[in-house]
This record gives sequence, C-alpha cells and structure tokens, in this order.
Amino acid sequence: MSKMLAKFSGAIVLLLIPLFVFAYQKPGTPTGFVNDFAGMLTAEQRQSLETKISNFEKNTSNELSVVTVPNLGGDTIENFAVKLFEDWKIGKNNKDNGVLLLIARDDRQMRIEVGYGLEGALTDAQSFWIIQNVLRPAFQKGDYYGGISVGIDNVISITKGEFQPNTGSTSNSGFNANSIFFLIWVSWIFFVWTGSILARSKSWWGGGIVGVVIAFIIGFGFTLVSGFVSALIFIPLGLWLDYIISRRYTIAKEMGQPLPWWIGGRGGLGSGSGGFGGFGGGRSGGGGSSGSW
Amino acid sequence: MVLVLYSWSLYNGLVKANENITGQWAQVQTQYQRRFDLIPNLVNSVKGIMNQEKKVFSDLAEARTRYAGAANTDDKVKAANDVESSLGRLLVIMENYPQLRSSETVLTLMSQLEGTENRISVERSRFNDVVKIYDTRIKGFPANFFSSLYGFKEKAYFESQPGAEKVPGVNF
Repeated sequence: MSKMLAKFSGAIVLLLIPLFVFAYQKPGTPTGFVNDFAGMLTAEQRQSLETKISNFEKNTSNELSVVTVPNLGGDTIENFAVKLFEDWKIGKNNKDNGVLLLIARDDRQMRIEVGYGLEGALTDAQSFWIIQNVLRPAFQKGDYYGGISVGIDNVISITKGEFQPNTGSTSNSGFNANSIFFLIWVSWIFFVWTGSILARSKSWWGGGIVGVVIAFIIGFGFTLVSGFVSALIFIPLGLWLDYIISRRYTIAKEMGQPLPWWIGGRGGLGSGSGGFGGFGGGRSGGGGSSGSW
Repeated sequence: MVLVLYSWSLYNGLVKANENITGQWAQVQTQYQRRFDLIPNLVNSVKGIMNQEKKVFSDLAEARTRYAGAANTDDKVKAANDVESSLGRLLVIMENYPQLRSSETVLTLMSQLEGTENRISVERSRFNDVVKIYDTRIKGFPANFFSSLYGFKEKAYFESQPGAEKVPGVNF
C-alpha cells in the first residue's frame, strides 16, 4: 500500500508541474512489434513473441508492442510511456487500438500503456492485475520471457473482441484516405509507365492511341456519351503529352543527360525493408497501469 | 490583395488553434469527471473502517459539489485543485489503517484512481501544448496586429495553485 501511495503522490507531483521538461529520449526506431533495446530476450524468444503479436494484429488489427529499455534516463515510467506512444503512434489511425508494454531493466519498472480505443476493454484495473499477478512474480524470478509471454496472452484475450480488421476495405466503407492514396499511387505508376514507353517509341501518335484506349474503357464502363467526351479530351491530350515527352527524351538522349523521373528515369522511390510495416498512427492518453519488481 | 489573403489564412488558423484548445479542455474535463465518479466508490469502501475521519470526507464531498456548480473555467480549476488536495489527505490518512492494505477492492480502486490521475496529467500537458501553439501564433510579429483586431486574446496555461507542489506529508 505504501508503495502505491508513493506512486500516487508521484503522479500528483507529475500533475502539478506539467510544464516541467522531462528527460525522455527516443530509444530508437521500431523494427517490429517487439523491440528489445535492453537485451532481455534471446533471438528465438523475441521471434516467438513477434509471431504471436503479428498474428494477433492480422486477426484483430490491434497493435501490441513490447519494448524493453535499459533505463528511463531519470524520467518517470508514466511519462516515458506516453512519449514513446506519441513517437511511435502504436495502434491504427482513428481506432487508437494500441497497447504498449514498456519494461525498464535497470529501474526495475514496467508499465502497460493503453491506447484510447482499448481503454474500455483493457481497464486500468485489469492492467494492474496483469502487472501484479503475472509480470511481477515472473520478473522477480528473472523469467522475463515467461512473464511477457503470459502477460501478452492476457492482453490478447482481453482485447480480442474489441475491433475487427479491415477486410475488403473499399467495398463497404467507400473512399477513405487509404484508398485515395492507393488510387493516386496506381495512377502515378500508370503515368510513369506509359510515359516511359511513349517516350522511347519516339513517335508522337502513340499518346493518341492511349487516349483512344482510355476513352474506350470509359465509354464501355459508363455511358457512350461520356466515352465520346473523354475521347475529345484524352486523344488530343495524349498526342500533346507524347509529343512533349518524346521530344524531351530525344533531347536528353542526345545531350547524354539523365532522364527525368516522369519518363522512367532513375527515381528516388526506394521502398522500405519488408516485414514490419510500422505502427498505424494510434494515440494514448495515459491509461493503463504501472508497477515494479 | 496579399494582405487580405494573409489575414484570411491567419484568421482561419487562429480559429483552428482556438478550437484545438477547446477540444483539449474537454478532454481534461472528461478525466476530471472520471475522477469524481471514482471517488464515491473509494469513499464508500473505506468509510466503514475510517469512521473517525468525518472531516476529510465532508471536505471531499464539498469540493465535488463546488466543481459541479462551477460556471466558468477558473472556478472549475480551483474546485478541481481542492478535490485533489482533499484526496491527497484522504490517502495519507488511509495509511493509518493497515486493514485497508490487504483489501482487494481498495487496491483495485487505487489502481483506477492512479490511472485517472495519470490521464489528467497527460491531458493537461497536452492542453498546455495547444495553448502554447495558439499563444505563439497570436504574439508573433505581423500576426499580433491582426489577432487583436479580430479579438483573439492570449490564453492561460494550466498552472498549479501556489504552494500546491508540496505533496501532503507522507510517513513511510
């Protein structure tokens, strides 16, 4: 109880000096759901937790993250967890369904920080229960993996029913930001791809043919009238674009210049490493519970 | 023309910044409400054992009533601070009752209250963040002429009352 009280008065101090600058420092960038900065797990243990959590993410879209850090740098674990959550944005955008399990090795403290969207499912009392009855006894015995694994199982079973994953997102929910982004991305690829073919063909009529094809597709997919209208727009547009592009390509070739990006030059669009795609943009507001061992 | 465009975008920007503050203040209030909802549970579960400590319970109840009746933000903040100090005193007094320490109910309630206090501190510091953005925009050089013209006033930060940084004495 006195420990609780000490923590509680700590929380009050925290509350009364909100303008105080804390010593939070970014532990690093996330490389997966499990980030073992303090080296408390073996590679196999890390992998097995990672598999468990990423399967859970696929099934429910909830994002759990396990982070171990060597120390808190003099900060409180509550503040460190909130700041880390803000940095990494654990959980999906607009769902805020992230959970962070933060473990500070040298400070012997831990915290379960719960995103806004899961506060109803994983209450403070439940987080407290997991810390007191699962994590703490295991950590005291030095069994970090065992504690984390069972703790994660608990979190998974508690938060399982809260959110459904987005499957077939475009069909039911209409246009959201993601599908618009995807559309832009597709037309971008299409643009660069046709651009580079047309440029290399050197003729100026290829663009007209592309225009005709687009007009046909539109006329077929919608109405004949819209097909005619788009033919009037796209054929001259295609001819004109092809003319510009072909000329630019020839000039670039003759002068030995690098090709501009819009006709298939070497662009700077490097893709990230495969596997973990980063967290989704979730937020938290200090919900959860802390403890020590 | 440039001037019109500038003041137009400035105005909209300030309205947005102002809305952010209002929204964040609502977040703070939500957490206050949560704290007030939890207090009766805690009080009820410890009252039977702590029947000699009438004063702290009545202080707490009175501060809650004042918070509910507070019309403006300043009064609300003041009442909320009073609740905070009475709550702190209650927790200190609870230390004298060892039988409370083993109670599962009390422990659970304490963990909930602790979570709420932490949320309040998070939302309050975010409130100060948005106020800072707003105040910086208002006071910056060309903007300060226009913002006073439009009637945008500087907003106050969430600051603790003087002397409140003293945590009620706890003897372990």
